[in-house]
Amino acid sequence: MDLSVLERVKWLQQQQMVSPEFLQILGSDGREELKMVESYLGNSNDELQGFRHYETIDGCISRTSSFQMEQVKNNEENRVIALQHKRKTEGKTEKRGKKKIKTEDETESSMKGKSNMSNTETSSEIKKQEYIHVRARRGEATDRHSLAERARREKLSKKMKCLQDIVPGCNKVTGKAGMLDEIINYVQSLQQQVEFLSMKLSVLNPELEFHINELSTKQFQACFTDLPEAVSKQSMMVDVCSFPLHQHGSLDYSVINSNQTTTLGSKDQTSSSWEIHSQCLYNNLSLK
Amino acid sequence: MERQIISKKKQVFSVEPTKLSPSEVFTRKYTSHLVPALKKLNMDKNSSQINQVTVKHEVDMALALSAQEFAWGRFLLQKLSSADSKSSSSNQTQILERSNDEDGEIEEKMKELQELLPGGKEMNVEEMLSEIGNYIKYLELQTSALKTIVQDTT
Repeated sequence: MDLSVLERVKWLQQQQMVSPEFLQILGSDGREELKMVESYLGNSNDELQGFRHYETIDGCISRTSSFQMEQVKNNEENRVIALQHKRKTEGKTEKRGKKKIKTEDETESSMKGKSNMSNTETSSEIKKQEYIHVRARRGEATDRHSLAERARREKLSKKMKCLQDIVPGCNKVTGKAGMLDEIINYVQSLQQQVEFLSMKLSVLNPELEFHINELSTKQFQACFTDLPEAVSKQSMMVDVCSFPLHQHGSLDYSVINSNQTTTLGSKDQTSSSWEIHSQCLYNNLSLK
Repeated sequence: MERQIISKKKQVFSVEPTKLSPSEVFTRKYTSHLVPALKKLNMDKNSSQINQVTVKHEVDMALALSAQEFAWGRFLLQKLSSADSKSSSSNQTQILERSNDEDGEIEEKMKELQELLPGGKEMNVEEMLSEIGNYIKYLELQTSALKTIVQDTT
């Protein structure tokens, strides 16, 4: 493959008389950039024909990898990333080459070049059009495994972002390790809170019966509003995290409560009224 | 007498079904599990016998029953129902030796997280991360529900 690449470069040289010094500068930086710059340089003389050349050259020479249609989304993302990265690398090569190159038009045309298959001698390298072409980032492999690995890593980072929204105070920390630390601490603190509250409950349990009927919707509404702000802000999240926390109570529950208070009598009745209360709870739940 | 009260309440119910958010659904389920269980504890045993472990057990059981749609909830239920006499200590803080390698650190922390999450050891990393997300949320809901119960009894 390298041989044919070199052949192509020589062909370009002959065609457009690129200075060999320039080649030396770019020699070790990767064939991809080399080819792109070559084509751009070559066409700076003749801008009218520039776009046609891009099509043929970029379509043939550029390093592409084919990807199955299943993971369309990832490919698009990769494409976008690749596009962006392309611009960056072009910026770099600009400085090296000390020539002004219009990057935006060229990237667009090069993408078009991929979709339009040209029938040059190197067209055998081009894969079938059913596949979505993903331009490899500079320095990254294009084989299937690394692409799959990349997709997996992106999934992980998506989920980490999701967790970042849930766990308060995670925004300040960057990096996987720090965030994981925060998450671990948060989960531990929540579990400790639960344990502490249950300990409290066990102490108070004998008095539970007498007071449980005072459980009101207002209390529960308050508990919804008291939830940490970070949790209530995020209503739409990716994947599993799709719990919009609304802060409105439910009508019928409050209605039960208002009726409940009227039946409250002496202590003797408290247990029976609590029975009613719990029955209402069950009725309510069964209605839903 | 009681029936009249119940029927009166039924009349006042709203016609349209109210849409409940998952957090409300959970809170209701949770309290409906926990409160009768606590009451039962009161009735069955003398007050001197109620210790923290059983209450914690009930608390965890209520959480597990209310969160059956998640893997961790099912696992928790399994664990609790199979080991009734044992106390479930869910917050073990393990001191792990952090390796110098960055990837190793992250892996160590992932393992720690896995241990925190009930059933986490049997999941792979991706699954665990998504389960952890809703586990945290439901823990928060649980704490707020417990707070209100405790507040009411004091």
